[in-house]
Order: sequence, then C-alpha cells, then structure tokens
Amino acid sequence: MNRKKDKGFESPRPFKLTHQAVCINNINFQRKSVIGYVELTIFPTVVNLNRIKLNSKQCRIYRVRVNELEAPFNYNDPTLEVCHHESKQRNLNYFSSAYTAAVSAVDPDAGHGELVIKVPSELWKQGDDLKVLKVYIEFSLDQPKGGLHFVVPDVEGSMAERGAHVFSFGYQNSTRFWFPCVDSYSELCTWKLEFTVDASMVAVSCGDLVETIYTHDMRKKTFHYVLPIPTAAPNISLAVGPFEILVDPYMHEVTHFCLPQLLPLLKHSMSFLHEIFEFYEEILTCRYPYSCFKTVFVDEAYVQVSSYASMSIFSTNLLHSAMIIDQTPLTRRCLAQALAQQFFGCFISRMSWADEWVLKGISGYIYGLYLKKTFGVNEYRHWIKEELDKIVDYELKMGGVLLHPTFSGGKEKDNPTPHLHFSIKHPHTLSWEYYKMFQCKAHLVMRLIENRISMEFMLQVFNKLLSLASTASSQKYQSHMWSQMLVSTHGFLKSISNVSGKDIGPLIKQWVDQSAVVKFFGSFAFNRKRNVLELEIRQDYTSSGTQKYVGPIKVTVQELDGSFNHTLQIEENSLKHDIPCHSKSRRNKKKKIPLMNGEEVDMDLSAMDADSPLLWIRIDPDMSILRKVEFEQADFMWQYQLRFERDVVAQEEAISALEKFPTPASRMALTDILEHEQCFYKVRMQACFCLAKIANAMVSTWQGPPAMKSLFTRMFCCKSCPNIVKTNNFINFQSYFLQKTMPVAMALLRDVQNLCPKDVLNFILDLIKYNDNRKNKFSDNYYRADLIDALTNSLTPAISINNEVRTVDNLNADVRLILEEITRFLNMEKLLPSFRNTITVSCLRAIRQLQKNGHIPSDPSLFMSYAEYGHFVDVRVAALEAVVDYTRVERSSAELQWLLNMVQNDPAHYVRHKILGMLAKNPPFTKATDSALCNEALVDQLWKLMNSGTSHDWRLRCDAVNLYYTLFGLTRPSCLPLPELGLVLNLKEKKAVLNPIIKPELGVSAVIDTPASIGIHGIGMGYSTPDPIASGVCGVGQPPQGLKRKADTPLGSPPEPGQILQQQDEEGSRGRYKIRFNTMEEEDIDMETVHDSQAFIHHHLNLLERPSTPGKEPPSVEQSLLSMPATPVPSFSKETTSSSSKHGGEHGHHHHHHHHEHKKKKKKHKHKHKHKHKHESKDKEKDRERDNSHAYSNSPASGRSLRSPSLSD
Amino acid sequence: MADPAVASGGSLNAGGRSGSGKAASSPAENYHLARRRTLQVVVSALLTECGFESAEKAAVESLTEMMQSYLNEIGRCAKAYCEHTARSVPTLSDVVVTLVEMGFNVDTLPVYAKRSQRMVITAPPVTNPPVAPKALTAGQKRTHPAHIPSHFPEFPDPHTYIKTPTFREPVSDYQVVREKAASQRRDVERALTRFMAKTGETQSLFKDDITAFPLIAARPCVIPYLSALLPSELELQTLEETDSSEQDDQTDSENTAGNIITDDPGADKENSMLPPSGVVPSVKASEENMIDNPYLRPVKKPKVRRKK
Repeated sequence: MNRKKDKGFESPRPFKLTHQAVCINNINFQRKSVIGYVELTIFPTVVNLNRIKLNSKQCRIYRVRVNELEAPFNYNDPTLEVCHHESKQRNLNYFSSAYTAAVSAVDPDAGHGELVIKVPSELWKQGDDLKVLKVYIEFSLDQPKGGLHFVVPDVEGSMAERGAHVFSFGYQNSTRFWFPCVDSYSELCTWKLEFTVDASMVAVSCGDLVETIYTHDMRKKTFHYVLPIPTAAPNISLAVGPFEILVDPYMHEVTHFCLPQLLPLLKHSMSFLHEIFEFYEEILTCRYPYSCFKTVFVDEAYVQVSSYASMSIFSTNLLHSAMIIDQTPLTRRCLAQALAQQFFGCFISRMSWADEWVLKGISGYIYGLYLKKTFGVNEYRHWIKEELDKIVDYELKMGGVLLHPTFSGGKEKDNPTPHLHFSIKHPHTLSWEYYKMFQCKAHLVMRLIENRISMEFMLQVFNKLLSLASTASSQKYQSHMWSQMLVSTHGFLKSISNVSGKDIGPLIKQWVDQSAVVKFFGSFAFNRKRNVLELEIRQDYTSSGTQKYVGPIKVTVQELDGSFNHTLQIEENSLKHDIPCHSKSRRNKKKKIPLMNGEEVDMDLSAMDADSPLLWIRIDPDMSILRKVEFEQADFMWQYQLRFERDVVAQEEAISALEKFPTPASRMALTDILEHEQCFYKVRMQACFCLAKIANAMVSTWQGPPAMKSLFTRMFCCKSCPNIVKTNNFINFQSYFLQKTMPVAMALLRDVQNLCPKDVLNFILDLIKYNDNRKNKFSDNYYRADLIDALTNSLTPAISINNEVRTVDNLNADVRLILEEITRFLNMEKLLPSFRNTITVSCLRAIRQLQKNGHIPSDPSLFMSYAEYGHFVDVRVAALEAVVDYTRVERSSAELQWLLNMVQNDPAHYVRHKILGMLAKNPPFTKATDSALCNEALVDQLWKLMNSGTSHDWRLRCDAVNLYYTLFGLTRPSCLPLPELGLVLNLKEKKAVLNPIIKPELGVSAVIDTPASIGIHGIGMGYSTPDPIASGVCGVGQPPQGLKRKADTPLGSPPEPGQILQQQDEEGSRGRYKIRFNTMEEEDIDMETVHDSQAFIHHHLNLLERPSTPGKEPPSVEQSLLSMPATPVPSFSKETTSSSSKHGGEHGHHHHHHHHEHKKKKKKHKHKHKHKHKHESKDKEKDRERDNSHAYSNSPASGRSLRSPSLSD
Repeated sequence: MADPAVASGGSLNAGGRSGSGKAASSPAENYHLARRRTLQVVVSALLTECGFESAEKAAVESLTEMMQSYLNEIGRCAKAYCEHTARSVPTLSDVVVTLVEMGFNVDTLPVYAKRSQRMVITAPPVTNPPVAPKALTAGQKRTHPAHIPSHFPEFPDPHTYIKTPTFREPVSDYQVVREKAASQRRDVERALTRFMAKTGETQSLFKDDITAFPLIAARPCVIPYLSALLPSELELQTLEETDSSEQDDQTDSENTAGNIITDDPGADKENSMLPPSGVVPSVKASEENMIDNPYLRPVKKPKVRRKK
C-alpha cells in the first residue's frame, strides 16, 4: 500500500523549533489571571522565512519581538465563531464542515496557526544564512475559560489557606490555550520553564526542578524547570497550589503532590506506585525515560487522568484511605494508565493525528498487561471482553470507528466516515464517546497484533521504538534526529515486520485502515451417521458498522472425550463447515471428561442429547477477531459451558445466553456457580442478575423461597438467627462483592402481580436495619449504597387512581418504609458523610425513581439544590442526571433552560461536559419525536452554544454538536419555520455549503482550503489561505492520499505543491530538495504532476508570502545546506535501505520508472509556473495591499474575521 | 409518633419539680396518698351528715388536716401509754386513757357509732406497703435469731450490708443483642436527624405535608472534596479499635487484594514480587535522612545581580 513509501518525518513548517522558554511571572488567583512570556528558538528551514505561524488561543498578546526587533503580528482564531454569516443556517452538516474547516485553518499539523508573525524585513535579508531566530512573545491570560483552570474556594484566608490552585488541562493538543506555542505533537523541542508563584505555593511542571529562588521581596519564589528531553508542546503542563509534598518512599525521584489535609490519603494511595514502575520497566526492558516523575492531585479535574512529560495530573477524587475497597483497584488502574502514557504518548509522540491509534494502542495494551499481572488473568479476560462488547455495541449502533483515517482529498465523497455527524480528520472535531471507543479499539487491535506475532516480539517492537527514541532524545544539538521520537503507523508496522518477520498486512487492513466490526451468527447440527458436526457461520456485513471477515477463525468443541480446537477458514458468506467429532456418543459413561486445561471432571451427563457427543461449542474463544457472535446451542450446552468451561469469558457468555432459557436446570446451574467459591467473582455477580431474570420468567412455577434468599442467608447471615446478617467483615473481597450484589439483584424479583415480593423487601430492610460495621476495618459505604440501590430496584409503578396528587396520606405502606430509610440515610449523610458521598448518590437516584414511579410528587427542586456548585462532583452528577430525566419525562422547558444555563456557566468543566453527555444520552426529545420543547429559540440557543459558546473547550463543543445531532439530526431542524421562498433558499443553502468549500475558479472542492474562505479571509493577508509550505508537506506527511489521488482523481487536492514548485524554480534548491525528499520521490512526483491545476492557486496564494526576489535565492539555499549538519542523510538512507529491502523486489523497477517521469514533469512545471507566477503576482499584490490596510487595524486578540469580497464570490 | 417525646418531656418536668426521689419512693408515697384520700372521703361524709351540700376544697382540706392531726395524736399518745407500761402493742385501755386525757367523753362513742344517719364508706383500697425494689435484692433477708425477741426491729435489707447491685444481668442472647443494638442505633439516628431537621432548614418531598420525611437541606460547601474523601472521625475511631498497628493493616490489605482479586497462577508471581519490594523500605530507612529531592531543597535567596 501507499503507506509503505512513507518515510521519515517531514515538518509542515518552514522552520524547526529547537527550544522554547516559558516564563510565567505572575499568577493572580484573585483575578484569575496570568502574565508571562515565551521565547521560541527556531531554525528556518527555508530561505527568507518571512512569516511564522504559531498557535495561540485566548491569550492577549502584548508584543512580539524577533531577535530583539519588534515584529508585527496578526491574531485570528476562526474557531471562536465557526459560522459568521448565513445566520439562518441551522443544519448540522453545514456546521460540521465549517467547523472542520476552521480547525484545519489553524491546524499546527498542517503548519497553520492562529498567530501569524511577520518576520521583520531586516531579518529576512540577514536570514539568507538561515540564522537562528528567537521569537519573544509577551502575553497574558485573563479569566481563562480553557487551558488553565483556577480553583479558588470562596472562604476566608490567604489563597494557600483556601486551597486555591490552578492547573493546565485540555483535550489533545490544547496548550495553545495558555501560552503561544507550536501546538503540535510532532514539533519537539527542549524546554525551560519558569514560574513565579506565591511563597506558600508550589509550581509543579515538566522536567527537572533545577532550583527555587525567592524574589527580592521574599514574598514569592520562582521555580526553574529544565526539560532536556525534546517534548511536544501539548505534553507541557503546569499545576500551582499549596500542595503537600510527598517524596515516594521507594523511588526518591518520584514526588507526589496533593491538596492540603489529604496527605494521609496520598500516602496510602501512592504506596504501590513503585510496583507499576517496576512492571513497565521490566516488560519494556527500558528505564523510565524521564529523570523524575510527579503526580499532582487536583480538584475539579478535567479528566481523571492526564499525562504530560514527566508528570501526570489526576483528579483528587482518586485518593482514598486504607478503609476503602472499591476505589482501590480503580485508582491503581488510573495510575497504571498514566504511567503507560508516560512511555507512549509523552516520551514517544506521534507524527500525525492518523498515528494516534499507535500510541493509544500501545499504552492501552501495556496497561492491559499490567492488569493481567496485578489483577489476574480472569480480570484481564473479563476486561477484554468488556472492552470488546463496548466497541462492538458502539460500532453496530453508531457506525464504524476508524483507527487510521486517510484523507485522500477534500471531496466530501472521500470522507472515510460518512455515517458520522462529525469529521474524524482532527481530534478536535471528534465526539468524546467516539474518541473513547477509538482508544478502546486501538488497544484491542494491539492485542490482535500480539496474537499474531507473539508477545515477545511485541515487546521487542516497543523496546525498539523506545531505544530509538531515547538515542534520539540524547542528541542535544541535532534536532532533526528528534523525529525518531515520533511514531508513525508506517514506522510501527515496519518495526513489526522487521522484528517478527511476519506480514500483518491483512490484519492492519481489516482493523486499522477500515472501520467496523464483524457480526457472526452461528448454528450447528450434529450428523450422527457421519459423526460430524456441521457448523454454519453466517455473517451480517450489510448493516451499519459491520464488515466482512475473511480468514481463519478458531472454533473450540468440547466433546465427551475432550476439548478440541479447530481452525476454520471463513471464505464467503454463510458457509457450512464440517468438523469431524472425536468421540462417539456415550461410550464410557463412567469416564471422567477432560477439559481444555487438562483437568478431568465428573459430569452428570443426563441432561445431554444421548445421540451427540457434543457438550458445548465456542466460536472464536480467544477473541482474536473484533466481533459479535450470536451462537445457537441448546440450553443444556450453555449450562455445561457455564459449569465446566474454565474460561471466564465462556462463563459470562453462557450466563447471558441462559437468560433465554428460564428452566429449573438453568436455575440450578446458576445457583451452583453462585455458590462456587473458586469461580471468578464477577461471573458470580453476573449470575445473580441472570438468576433474577429467569426467576421472574419462571414466576408461576418457581418453587421455594425467592431466588438467592436462602443462599444469601447461608453465606452471610448468622447461624443461630438466620434473619440477621452477620456483622460486617469485608476481609474476603470476593464475598464482599457478592454480598453487595445479591440484594441488588434480588430486588429485581417480581411476583405474579409484578410487584417485588414482600419477603424480599423485608429481607432488604432487615439487612439495612441489622447492618453493623463496628468491627469491620473497611468502610461499608459502598455496601450501604448498594442496599439503597436494592430498595430502588424493588420499586414498581404506583397504582394511580385517576391521576390523584401524591400525598403523604395515600403513600403505600411499603413505600413509606423505603422512604423512611432513604430519609434517614440522606440525613445521616449530612452528619457523617460517606466516602465520595456514595450514599447521597444512591439516595438521589432512589428519590428520582420514587418520583418516576408515581409514589411521590415529581419535583426537580431537590435535585437542583444538590446539583449546585459546591457539592461533591459525584453528587452533582447524580442530581443532574435526575434533572435530565425529569426534563425528559415532564418535558419541562424551565429545567432544560436551567441545565443549558449550567452548561454555559458552571465553573467545573467536567460537570458541563457531563450535562451535555447526559442530555444526549437521555434526550428531552429526538429528531424522530415531536415535542413542545423543540422550538426555534432552543435551536438558536444550541446553535449559539456550539458555534461560539464553547470555543474554549474542544470537548464541550463536540458534546454540544452531539446533542444538537441527537435533538435535530443532520438537517435543518423541523421546528424551524420554512424560510421564505424555501426552494430558492434551499438552493442557497446548498450553495452556502459548497461555497466555502469549492473554489469556483477551480471547480475543485478542497476542504483544506475551506478555512480560507470561511474564517480567515480578509483579516490577514496571505494568512487567509493555507500555507503552501505547510500543505505541501502535509501531503507528504500523509502519503497514502497522494497515491490514491493519483489513482482516481487527478484533480484531487490539498497537498499544495506551491512551495515545492517554487523551489524547483530555483536552481540551488535541488540539493536540499533531495535531502528532504529523497526517500519519497514517488509521491512527490505524483503530487506535482497531479496537482497541476492546483498549483495555480497555491502559487498565486503563495505569492503573498514570498518575497519576489528570485535572484537572491540560490546562494541562500546553499547556505542552508551548509548550516544543516550532514546527519539527515545517514538517517534517511538507513530508512531507505530498510524499506527497500522489504519492497525492493516488487517495486524496484517501478521506482526507477517513476524517477524518470518525475524529471520530465518537473521541467514542464517549471515552465508553467514561471508563467503563472508573473501573471498572478500583479493582481495579488493589489489584493494584498488592500487587505493589509485593515488587517492590522483589528485588535490582535479579536477573533473577528471579515470576509474578503474578492475571494468569497 | 411525637407522643413519646411529649410524655418524656412531661416526665422531665415532673422530675424537676419533685426532686429526684420519684422512682425510688413511689410505692411508699402512693401508700400515704391512699390513706389521705380515704380520710378526705371520711371528712366529706361527715360534712354531708351534718347537712352540708357543698364545701370549698380548702375547707375540706383543712378539716382533713385537723382530723389527721387528731388521729395522729391519739395514735402517738396511745403508743406512749403502752410503752410506758413496757408493752409494745397498745391495748384498748391505752386508747381509752388517751381519749380521756384529750378531753373526749368516751361514753358518747357507742351511741355515736350506732347513729341512724351514719354513712358507710367503702374500705380504702388495699395497698401493699412498699417493698424493696427487686433490683436491690441481694442474699436472703435474715430473720431474728432465737435469742432476740421478735419485737426488736428487723434486720435491715441485706443489700445495705452485703452488696448493692447497680446493673442488670446482661442479656446474652445474640439475637436480642443484635436486635437491640440495631434499634438503638436506629433510634439515635432518627432522633438526631429529626433534631437536626427541626432546628435547621429542610427540604421536603411532599408539597402537602412539609413535615413528613423532612430532609436536612443540601448546603453547598466550599471545599466539598474534603468531607467526601477524608474518613470521618467515627470511621477513624473504628479503624483504631479494629487494628492496633497500622503496619499490620497495610500488608494485610495488600496481600488480600492480590490474592482475592486474582485467582490464577499469576497471584503467586505477585507474591514472589513482594520480597524485593519489601526490602526497599529497610534501605529507605537508612537513607531516610539523605533523600535528595528538588522539592525538599531549601529555597535559595535571590542573587543580587539577578534581574527579576
């Protein structure tokens, strides 16, 4: 595939950033403002670098100096307001493409940026010798809405006493929110970070703390950090606060920070971190890459875990004491995740967004290995199944998730994911849920690769990536080597093939280059005469989110004589496979039956079909395909599978299958599993719920006490008085989890009247009454919360007589008991709050359930008071969930407004995100339903929210888009009045969609170009169009597109060869050109030839940026050659040889051929271009002057953009 | 529901007025009250005999008082005469002498007793003389030995000289204990939360009756994570009670975490991992004072030449 030709990294920028200093000399907590400056050291990689594009959002920039000279600059952020005109436009299709365009317009991976600095002309003369440029930018942030989050509790005392703190946050590359930088994962540089903070505070940042110095007045101190390892700006972070400091007792270079008073919790929670370190270092056979590591626990965290170079920021809510059971594994998992990302994500960064899956995949994969080692194989397999189910469900519901998107062009037809209402071209346009699923799929695919090449090779590959990176990182002065620290899909796959010698091409093609999962339907028949199992495996590959699978599949058949694996080839749809059986039915009745793991067991075979030797069959037992299997086998086979198959995944599958077989035999099998102490506790927990379901299905024939009651009594109640539960002792965690789960499942039982049986309710009430935790060394807060959940589960709809108002008097007696318990619990919680307020959370859910079932009046005011800022976040979320539910059930617009208001104004970013997420999940109405809520005002409000109201938070904006999609769909919301002259306007609308995308002069649609016409035009001069250099290289960075384009559409688009072409105009550029492209000549040529017509615009746009002094260029290029050390050549040649060794055979000849062609075409180009160049330059110069006239009159920080009439028509 | 509270409140007031002796002297007091009530009835009957239709309560009370003093005096005098003659039980003659002494014409007594308009009053209810509370029984009450005449005072209650039990025998039935602990805790919790609800702001689930199921109002707090994350004092106390050394607890919970959640051979590996990590702390202890962590280093003074 075309990927094969992708070689080393090509920067989209005409310069290389080598070092950046960030100095924040004032942080004002009162005003929530920050003042500082940055200084970027850059090496131009072109002669006459006259324009530097950087990323910066919401910063107020005071001055910019380049090498001590004041430099004019232009600041324009098209994402502030996505759609300016067409105020009537309300369809999401339009928004999505405009938003994508806006994001592209400032995408650092394409060399763009919000901040355009004009290099003073004095310097570009001098720039001939490609000297270092130092770009100095003074900036401030006032009440930042994104990037930095201030937490300032409103109490008496100094900021330190109040526990005020500030920390950086963001989704993907968001560093530009708090200081100007090249906000790309692929632009690495070394760092010097300086933070001056109040003497009572600590500033924690990336790298090594070199020294801390008081200021002259001794009231502040300055923390000096140095990060010598080249790091991308998005991996830089900061946390400042009155933190308590804990040096890890096992590893002194690791330091933990938490907010005041939490030190004991921090000590306990961090006590095992060293084990995670040891584990990763051992499996990767590589030391932790940074010289130190810091963990900071902050309040109101954006996400639970975020990793940055040599530090991680966590939510403070992960801290827990030794008494807490449930939180412990969760916190450990979070730490393990953070640490995995230190290796892959922070130390090793990525070349482009399309390579993100490799990083997420590897970090997720090694995190899985940690889970396996720490929590056991059962837990690991359970987790893999859970993740697989999640991704399969998501893809079947929402359509495919594509790991490695390639964008062959701007054409909308080429959108690889047309089923989605957002673009996957940028991380910032993705819906959060999609991104989560993306990560999930990435690590599952890594596991598939491991299955194929073995874990040993897998770890060798990781080791190779890491050792390459660490060699590169130590090259202090050879910044071009640093690209070795960037991982690409291609590089990763090449490592795999080098290390393992295996071709995993088909696997990659299936799961990485292609979206969707596989859906199997299996059934079988046993042919007694031939003693053959006739297995039929069908596929559904037509519904959304599915794909066709061709290849091997493993089938495990448990027969009387043992377990046998068969590998079948899936070749076409609906294929029957004959599998010969090894055993004759019922030969040796007395014989023990050997299982897969070598164990031999006695089975009661009376249930099985006397004619068949088959006990159970499993399709793809190792989960080596991303699939959903619906397999049909008889109930007794599922029961055998549940009882005797030792794999937890098989047991869980059997449990879900048994739901459909409510028979006494199923009941027996489930009860046995429940009692079986050797069985994995999560399987037993799942069995509880299944048992409740089949008990309900069997209600008329059920014998004996309610399901699980006697079991619970036997396991957890006193021997002498079976109605009283033993005093709590949670030392055995398995029993603890079972004890927690059983009542919750039991409460789901229903009698013939569909009510919860009286004795079950009394049983639960007794559990609450006799609950005694005095002798327990663990907290019982989760247990009590689960008992409340059990009460909630027992609720059934109230019998209502002609909609009477619910009063205390007509309260059902049982409900009165429940309500009394809930009241008492909720009130006690005020006096003795439980860990993470789990009990309040459960009580709020219970109250909402009581309201919903009509036992008490439906009223949101209680929830609204609990949802206010100032409650613990879990409580807020639970309360908000209730309000969201209320809004849906009662169709209340007041509450919806209240929620949306909170989305806009709440201080906690997580809560805002959560509200939109919950609204989308439980929407007040959908596009399919009519609702009074759906009105023009709401449409406008939501539109405003996503158009401009959420510009400070990518994640929130995508959440808003998601909600809009859920409520109104992709097209114009139906509740809007038809625009006057509908047809005409419709046409207009269509035109409006196309207009910004398609350049009329060219007749080619180019999404990359869109930003130009949408946001940026008119403000800056050349800025408005994609930077030719950047785009040119962008094409190189994603070579697959280049080739594809060549194949199907000659007018493809974006990679703009302007820059390249121009270089070719110049004699001297050749040498340098070779260095840059010698390994990828093929695409280069292709692109050039293919983009002839494109060249036209690029060229003319390019002119704006290029000084028209061609005569001077040749010498400057030579200079550039000189100034660049000779190292790149060896590095690239190494790449070349390794790749040619691989593809040499097939491609050698081809290669040569192309080369020739290339030269010819080049000549042609040159010609054309010179011509056009002249022709266009005059016109453009005029435009430029005009634009210039108002460009700088805009305030630098204003996001306004005017539309230049010259190009919009 | 509120009744018990009211009742107990009432009793609290009563206690305040009549001092503390109520519970202990209650039977004796009752005995005297009953006598007095009978006397009152007698006085009323006599008044009716004399033709009174009604009487003021105060007058009846005074007459009763006079009557009681008179009878008391007769009793006291009769006892004195009897003891004067070295007897312990008064005889009829003692009483006659007393009456004579008090200036009463004894001869009129039989006639008065046989008068026709005499009213018959029901006998006063039989109230047993107070007995010592059961709780105080200790040992057998001793009777006089043979050499002591029976008219000498009896021995005092044995609890006064053997032992005075101040507690009850604990109930040892497990079920009852649990039952009791549970209901006690529940009562305390309910009373406490009701008190809090009564004294503070509340929220209600019902619009018609705000007092039913009162919920203490949710009040946002400035630093919500502190109360949500830190163990409450109660829990800390429990923790101290349940295990003495923290070290113990630490290793304990770690081991169980490993063992219980994993149930595969990997668990063994986990344990084999422990010894090396266990060694580290001892190393750490020796190095404790030489930890070199940049965050622990002292903050430097600004250099003079250093530009801010």
